[in-house]
Amino acid sequence: MLSNITKWDRKTTLRARLLLGVSILSVLLSSAILVSVSVGPIPISLANVLSVLLSIGPIETTLHTPLESLIVTELRLPRIIVGIFVGIGLSVAGVTMQALFRNPMADPGIIGVSAGGSFGAVIAITLQLDKYLFISVPACAFIGSLLASLIVYSFGHSRGQLSMPALLLAGVAVSAFFSSLISAIVVLEKDTNSVREILFWLAGGLDSRSWEHAVTAGPLIILGALLIMFYSRDLNLLNLNDDDAKGMGINVNVTRPFLIILSALLTGMAVAVSGTIIFVGLITPHILRLIVGPDHRILVPLSALTGALFVVSADTLARTVIQPAELQVGMVTSFLGAPFFLFLLVKNKNRLHNL
Amino acid sequence: MNQLNHNRNRMQPLLLTIMSSLVASILLIIGINVFNDDTNIVEEKDQTTDQNIWPREVNALNGTISILEKPERILTASVGHDELTVALVKLDKLVGVAGITKDQTYSNIADLVQNIPEIDRDPENIVALNPDIVVTSEYFPEESIQRLNDLKITVVQTSLASNIEEQMDTILLLGRIYGEEQRATQLVAEIDERYDFIDSIIQQYNTSEKKRVLSITRYSDQIWAAGSNSTEGMIIEAAGGINAAAESGIKGNMTTSLEGLIEMDPEIIIITQPRESGGDEFLEDLVTIKVTQEIPAVLNNKIYFMETKHFTTLSFWNIRGIEELAKLLWPEDIGAKSFGGFSLP
Repeated sequence: MLSNITKWDRKTTLRARLLLGVSILSVLLSSAILVSVSVGPIPISLANVLSVLLSIGPIETTLHTPLESLIVTELRLPRIIVGIFVGIGLSVAGVTMQALFRNPMADPGIIGVSAGGSFGAVIAITLQLDKYLFISVPACAFIGSLLASLIVYSFGHSRGQLSMPALLLAGVAVSAFFSSLISAIVVLEKDTNSVREILFWLAGGLDSRSWEHAVTAGPLIILGALLIMFYSRDLNLLNLNDDDAKGMGINVNVTRPFLIILSALLTGMAVAVSGTIIFVGLITPHILRLIVGPDHRILVPLSALTGALFVVSADTLARTVIQPAELQVGMVTSFLGAPFFLFLLVKNKNRLHNL
Repeated sequence: MNQLNHNRNRMQPLLLTIMSSLVASILLIIGINVFNDDTNIVEEKDQTTDQNIWPREVNALNGTISILEKPERILTASVGHDELTVALVKLDKLVGVAGITKDQTYSNIADLVQNIPEIDRDPENIVALNPDIVVTSEYFPEESIQRLNDLKITVVQTSLASNIEEQMDTILLLGRIYGEEQRATQLVAEIDERYDFIDSIIQQYNTSEKKRVLSITRYSDQIWAAGSNSTEGMIIEAAGGINAAAESGIKGNMTTSLEGLIEMDPEIIIITQPRESGGDEFLEDLVTIKVTQEIPAVLNNKIYFMETKHFTTLSFWNIRGIEELAKLLWPEDIGAKSFGGFSLP
């Protein structure tokens, strides 16, 4: 009886913490979205932004001008929505890989999955496949990410057992390999414009993102993130060790590759619509771990929201700080993310040792 | 042990302070660079003009360089230097040019240099062409210069400016380096004459009659606008336009957004990227996306493709860009006039 009550209490506490976290982050994300929609080279008041947003629905409002409506609906909103998807994709992929590889440094960028995705996208750009089929860049990015994940995973096996150091080292090697292939393409490509396209794409960013990009990447990122959330209990166990996970009824040999494929999907889709934006997958889960602890049932959904908040905020800064010119969003994520991360490390070092 | 931990605790805020200071320093450096409009011109204007006296010394970006005798085998390593050199010396003196100089899209002398070997920056490949002198820009790696100097090959670095006055200074300097002072003076006079012709047209008009021109390209969904201190910006102003991007605060070439374009409010848009390399798609998007219909240039169908090679090179060939743009801006005065290339030695 006592045990049942404790279990119930734990579940209630978990739900309460999750609800609290989701509520706070939802308010923050909504605020960030509203601010992001209202600022830009052409300032639009918050009232007019709300007027535009209401007029998208059934409510007819006349507070805003037609130009403001177009700017909000055709330029800013799709970019913000793509930013949300990219943030969700990269942070959920990051938290998943950190659990699967049992290493806090695991991140799509560090273990080669982003490099694989970039390679796939660069191939599509070099062959100009995107001119014939819009979906070709995301598709090639996903294939590249998946290929990188599978190589890393297969080299990480030793006598039927998954070796974490081998996985990470394989990740570093795969990352270097794909990066060198990309460099070779850039050096050998004779068409200067293709080289420009590749370099600008590699720099990453949310410039000129449209509803087409949102529709391309959004559904798969949301689906992948939801599936990973469904497996968050399994991530808790896989994060400990394989024997415990097996003891708790998890088919490690099926679940782990499945989750790796999902991470590759999230990374590939994010990379396909934004290029390589670094730091999101690494720092958002860490920041949250320091605040809410290591339970993936809370960590995964909150990482999704925090990643979205981080990318939307960084992109707002990127496009307004030197307007009408823009910075690359990846520049801002690194610039803001790294010092903040170090600050958190210093403030919470005792707690960090226990994670 | 406690003392050690205590010291560590004291060190971490200190380290954070140091890192913050570093970040602040970087921001300061960026700020200084962004707001500092001066370029690093080291070239000397008043140098000896007797073209038969050798050896001679020239003040270049890489110091005072002694040239022992008149160069007979010249190697240049950028489009700008290639274009300048071809205009000053006989073609058979060139032993190597940059690869891009053979590309019709980016080079104004592509036809002339097709049979000249293409070089890269590897000192070994340069040595294989046995040049007397290598003339290059400030971006040529210092280590490569050192290696070439070790092999007794003279390397001269000169700046490639994006404004006509400085370009003429560079021509005079190159004339001295090559021992072709007379030809350099002749070329400068030719450029001056063509520049003055356009200027005489512009002088007839008030500032209020000048149009707001925006020079843009789009690569991989990133829109680039040419602001102040850019080659395109210089061309716009020299042709009698107002650089809309510079007016909005863009310095150099920077990325912007469609919204940024609306804010810049251009009456004329020029696209300087090749049509076949994304230019046509960019134009199609500009004229079909609903939000850009508010831009006067789009509304009035005033979007034009310009020859990339006239706008991207850093040589006197920018004059051709000025002339073509001036034709668009002042059609009643020079709309029907055709401008040709430049004289050769």
